[in-house]
Amino acid sequence: MRTIRTTAVLAFLALPLLLPTGALAAAAEGKKAKSIDELAKMYDSTGCKQCHEEIYKEWEKSLHARSIYGTGRTAATIKTTVTVGLMGWKHSGVKKPEDVENRHLAICTKCHLPQLADATDDVAKEIVKNVNIFMDPKSSDDAKNKAELQLTKISINCLVCHQRNAITHKWVDGFPQKNEVFGSKEGSHPDPAHPVMKKSPIMSESILCGQCHGLGPNFELENPSQCGTLYGSYLWAYRAEGGQESCQECHMKKSKLGHNMQSYNDLNMGKAAVDFRVETLGYIWRDKAKMIPQTLVKIEMINRAGHAIPDG
Amino acid sequence: MPIPQQLGRGDKMGRGPYEKSGIIRDNGLPPNRPVLEQFEIPFPAEFVKKDGKDVTNILDYDMTVDIELIYEPFGDKDTGITWHKVTKKITLEKGGV
Repeated sequence: MRTIRTTAVLAFLALPLLLPTGALAAAAEGKKAKSIDELAKMYDSTGCKQCHEEIYKEWEKSLHARSIYGTGRTAATIKTTVTVGLMGWKHSGVKKPEDVENRHLAICTKCHLPQLADATDDVAKEIVKNVNIFMDPKSSDDAKNKAELQLTKISINCLVCHQRNAITHKWVDGFPQKNEVFGSKEGSHPDPAHPVMKKSPIMSESILCGQCHGLGPNFELENPSQCGTLYGSYLWAYRAEGGQESCQECHMKKSKLGHNMQSYNDLNMGKAAVDFRVETLGYIWRDKAKMIPQTLVKIEMINRAGHAIPDG
Repeated sequence: MPIPQQLGRGDKMGRGPYEKSGIIRDNGLPPNRPVLEQFEIPFPAEFVKKDGKDVTNILDYDMTVDIELIYEPFGDKDTGITWHKVTKKITLEKGGV
């Protein structure tokens, strides 16, 4: 018994010494952003524009570039998530907007701002505060503009897809490092902040997009949410039925939109998504002795997208 | 659209991602499967009795039908985006027995 106890104590004492240096370094480096500005700086991708100007301009037009503001509707939904959802639920721990923590906002930010995981709860509170200012009809235009500006500083930018979320299977491919960017090649990268270029095995694969574009309820959350279900539909209604194309093939290449990945808002995407055929037939229907003139309108639609339409 | 289940239970639709968990049914367009919709639209006509018989007076033998496929992200036509629009002219034959 004495031997076992001694061994247990020794093991306990030795544990901190056995932690790998890398993990300790990461813990030391794992400084969390305490404000929207700090988080924006942590994920600053404006430097990418110098060499990838066209791609950067494409991205700026996309909804990814304003992922927690959206068209204004996303900000509105964040507000109702707090006021109707979080504040209305007995066990959420949120009685007022100031009580919101990152774990609460993860209902939205798991996808709309995954880098919030690298911030303190102060940032969740700052987001909620700005959303409330933006949505408050009593707010002045100036206050609304400032809130909008603050909310659009943080988004799904280059570093989210090309670094943070570029690897799904981290035990196989390794954890993305802050000095790396991921694309289609290996080598050096002429950006002092990200001097290492690595090939992401999933950059052209649908799973990259699937991280956010929805399988269904997000069960990893204490209170699951469900925003999109597209990736689930892609897997089970498209791939399972023989479909072979990837998200990127339609939304980036065929559409020629590149990093301005659009969906229903782009008319060409909409037209390409659905075959639409109409036939009509005028005739007179005889209802017993009564003659009723009418037209039959037959519409055939075939959804050519790799997922159900609409999503939501 | 997929009609989301409120909090993954019961028969009520949830609204807002924070409420949605599950799907009650999906009345959207599944990928790569034809979906058919049919509509029957009457021509303008008046129905009268003449000598004890039903008589149909067709008021217009021509009809123009506009068929639009509108994506409604906010659930109303005002903010909808027209993806397809087809116009068809239909003419009934005059005469007959």
